[in-house]
Amino acid sequence: MKVNGITIDDTFAEAFGMSGTGVIITADSPRWARQAAITMSGYGTSVIGCGAEVGIDRELKPEETPDGRPGVRVLLFGFSPDALAPQLKNRVGQCVLTSPGSACYAGVDAKKRIGLGQGPRYFGDGFQTAKILGKNRYWRVPVMDGEFVVEETSGVVTDAVGGGNVLILGNERAGLLTAAEAAVAAIGDVPDVITPFPGGIVRSGSKVGSKYKGMVASTNDAFCPTLRGRVKSELGPDTVAVLEIVIDGLSSKAVADAMKAALKSLIEVGPSKGVTRISAGNYGGKLGQHHYHLRELLP
Amino acid sequence: MSGLTFRLKAAPDERVDVSELTPRRLAAISQGEIERIVVGSSKRQLKVGDVFAIGGRPGDSVTFESGSARLDFIGARLEEGTVIVDGDAGDYAGREMSGGRLDIRGDAGAFLASGLKGGVVTVKGSAGNLVGAQRAGDKFGMAGGIVVIEGHAGDRVGDRMRRGTILVRGSCGAIAGTRMLGGTIWTDQGFGANPGLLMRRGTLIGPSVEKLLATFVDTGKHDLVILRVLSRYLVATLGPLAPRPIAGPVRKYAGDLSTIGKGELLIAA
Repeated sequence: MKVNGITIDDTFAEAFGMSGTGVIITADSPRWARQAAITMSGYGTSVIGCGAEVGIDRELKPEETPDGRPGVRVLLFGFSPDALAPQLKNRVGQCVLTSPGSACYAGVDAKKRIGLGQGPRYFGDGFQTAKILGKNRYWRVPVMDGEFVVEETSGVVTDAVGGGNVLILGNERAGLLTAAEAAVAAIGDVPDVITPFPGGIVRSGSKVGSKYKGMVASTNDAFCPTLRGRVKSELGPDTVAVLEIVIDGLSSKAVADAMKAALKSLIEVGPSKGVTRISAGNYGGKLGQHHYHLRELLP
Repeated sequence: MSGLTFRLKAAPDERVDVSELTPRRLAAISQGEIERIVVGSSKRQLKVGDVFAIGGRPGDSVTFESGSARLDFIGARLEEGTVIVDGDAGDYAGREMSGGRLDIRGDAGAFLASGLKGGVVTVKGSAGNLVGAQRAGDKFGMAGGIVVIEGHAGDRVGDRMRRGTILVRGSCGAIAGTRMLGGTIWTDQGFGANPGLLMRRGTLIGPSVEKLLATFVDTGKHDLVILRVLSRYLVATLGPLAPRPIAGPVRKYAGDLSTIGKGELLIAA
């Protein structure tokens, strides 16, 4: 079917059950809260290679944070709570503890908890102290610009979803990137989701397996424009580039909402930017528990 | 809010232990049984029916319509519901409470909230010595919950206190926070002499201190993030009863250095 001149494939995005956790990072200014969040999100694109998929959910106003300072919420997704725990500990220890003026609090409210400040507190070398307020324990770790305040644990959910996606095909590479950027910005307004790849956009979509031993994934040749004619291509003659947006969410509804927001933006902005077709990545429906049919998510 | 009411028939001529008179315990028994509960402390074995006129129906609250400094253990071991005292309370009010709310609309005696584990205790007037303290035989003093005293507090507030928060609108007497192991004591009008004696951990917050122990060391002025977290937590929990957040840096004194010295006295600068 065509909407606003863009072909919408009759297909679905296939996504997987994951575990998700999150933190709220605050600092003296929005700039430094964001800096710590960006640093913590680094090397967090794909769970296969990075151990966790990490990204910024949204910026928080001072009245939304536990200490009344500007903040940023970062979400982390992994295969299991046990797999997330070392990722959270190392990323907070190396990227948030080290960032000037930062503090770090639980970003997900759930009964199941994983360690947040339980590891980094030992940086205090015995000078750390704790304060329990209500049900929450906060560690105060002396550092060179004052104290690093970090909550003991954060919540973790095991019904999160990773791998919601949209494939954007077009006849003009620069315009395609602009349209994809707009779609990522639209997803930014949806709570509880991240787009973990660089700027939220992937140019190297993958298929499962490879001709090489040991490679679990390799280039999605069917969507590579330079291989058209050499492989069983999915691309029409006018397609010069394909970009993908991958979405992780704390719930299936959040992922669906994010895909809706992306589709709406692409349909509005896309035609003037060379977007000709929208598709989605799946594995025939056999691997992932969650299927998001594009036509059901159209505005 | 429904519940039983207890009105003193006359001013008690001996100390009266009303620890059994909490909403949960009274809900499980008949009025006749309530009247036969022994509350006296002498060989006369005074019973509830001898001391109080009972009104109302069992519910989620218990109200003492008249108070007395001889009514001890009001709200002791309260787990849920509300206990209201429309007057003064004796010693050990809120002793080992773990939840619910105790509202004292007059003054409280000694050992208010001793061994408190949870819930909220408010006192409209002043409280005696040893608020939130350890009682002989206890391992620790207060271990959780919040106490709000709108008047003054006596000496040794928070003795052996381990967790929780004590807010005093007025001033604290001498040696507040003795042997403290954790938690927070916050006074709006200042500490008496020598706060934090033998304190190991915990936080004392106030605008001034009458005399500082030699074993507390000045670490300078600091803008502490944890004070912001504490202030917001108290506003969320107590609403208008919460103290006004401290604006700007505080002067931090660390001590007691005659112990491990991980406690702190924060004076609003």
